[in-house]
Amino acid sequence: MDDLLDVLLIEDNSTDADLTMRALKKKNNGLKIKHVEDGAEALDFIFSQGVYSNRNPSFLPKLILMDLQLPRINGHEVLKQIKNNERTRKTPIVILTSSSHLQDVMECYSNGANAYMVKPMDFEEYILQVSSAVHFWLEINYLPTY
Amino acid sequence: MNSKPKILVVDDKKENIVAIETVLRDLDVELISTTSGNEALRETLHHQFALALIDIQMPEMDGYELAAILREDEKTANLPFIFISGIYTDHINVFKGYEKGAFSFITKPFQPEILINKVKLFVEIHQHELMLKKLNNDLGRKNEELVVLNKELEAFTYSVSHDLRAPLRAINGYSQILLKEHTESVDEETKRLLNIVSVNATKMGELIENLLSFSKMGKREVNKGKVDMGLLAKSVITEIKETEQGKKVVWDIKELHDCYGDDLLLKHVVSNLISNAVKYSGKKDRPMVEIASHIKDNEVIYSIKDNGAGFDMKYYNKLFAVFQRLHRPTEFEGTGVGLAIVQRIVMKHHGRVWAEGTLDQGATFYFSIPMDI
Repeated sequence: MDDLLDVLLIEDNSTDADLTMRALKKKNNGLKIKHVEDGAEALDFIFSQGVYSNRNPSFLPKLILMDLQLPRINGHEVLKQIKNNERTRKTPIVILTSSSHLQDVMECYSNGANAYMVKPMDFEEYILQVSSAVHFWLEINYLPTY
Repeated sequence: MNSKPKILVVDDKKENIVAIETVLRDLDVELISTTSGNEALRETLHHQFALALIDIQMPEMDGYELAAILREDEKTANLPFIFISGIYTDHINVFKGYEKGAFSFITKPFQPEILINKVKLFVEIHQHELMLKKLNNDLGRKNEELVVLNKELEAFTYSVSHDLRAPLRAINGYSQILLKEHTESVDEETKRLLNIVSVNATKMGELIENLLSFSKMGKREVNKGKVDMGLLAKSVITEIKETEQGKKVVWDIKELHDCYGDDLLLKHVVSNLISNAVKYSGKKDRPMVEIASHIKDNEVIYSIKDNGAGFDMKYYNKLFAVFQRLHRPTEFEGTGVGLAIVQRIVMKHHGRVWAEGTLDQGATFYFSIPMDI
């Protein structure tokens, strides 16, 4: 069921997750989205381990949307592990966070993040920002072939 | 700390010790008397002395040897001592004594007043040193506390930025969803109320944003260089002229002096003061903004003057405080952080910022930047 996944959403805040899913579905109803609530679960999913050990590891999401402050394993660490793995490092990761701290921005890019977005307060803007990011990474951008 | 200052007495002759004890009887000090160098060294292990009175001629270890050992030990290296010698004061011995680091020299038979005064002096110096050490320690501890507090404040700012924004986004997001996606089930009054919720959530978001930029300004380092203020003001004004209010303004821009500062930060100051001038004169028929500079007492002083709403000087002390506003939000929009940021930036340049205003007749804001680099 997770075979053809468009977006993996890593977000601990349930209302933010709900708003993001609404924003994504608003412009692109057919999107297959998987939502996980913390960094550890995200890594289990990506690397087909733990509760996800039955998942086919060759099916990776086309895009990862990730918050930074996550329970158990935080976003910076998740980013590092995915980008340091030969098999998973090409998956684009877009950071979607409340933090506009320069230090967070710099750390994310040096760890290989593909984009960094600060969550806007206004919901209209939120919809626009999230959906255009997904549109760009899923439909416009070309990734290296595996 | 309240115990008496301790004085080490070393003399192989009991009668000399008794003599010293008698002379110093009335001083508020504790005497610890020993009859040999070895015994004296043992005592230094157990006590912190303010001063040592050392006889030079002693069997086994003489006063010079004892002094040399005391100088080498970390604990007693700074212990001042007075040699008390029965030897007739010839220059060789005095010289040898000072070489070992003696602070003073007395020959026997000594004048009681001289010994008393010397001991008093050294004890006083010792007390001052202790006091200084304590103050220094206190200062160090206070400094450490401040570093910790500063870190806590930074963490607090971080959590404000992250944790407070999420619930606001929820309030704003869901009220907009109700407004836009449930139009049939929501009547006009409910829509109006939901709008108020949404607008206020947005407003609070702006407040948080501004507060954050205020705290970021505080942390930012000042990168100084030559600032072409004329050019800087021009670029700010070009942007403002594009706005609806900016188009109406009659500008009077004088030749501006250059200064030495951080151009990015100073642009923030100028931009803020000019936008304020434009904002608060926006309701006049003929809004006017004048920008000028002059040099006085080794400072470049810049002024931004408008003919707008002005302010009552009796509220002057609120002008530069965070979140303080002198106008109702229905009259003029704003969060009350702008001038606080201006003040912070100017203070980082060791300059000053001040203003003059008359209600309904306009205001002039000044800031100064020191000319010494």
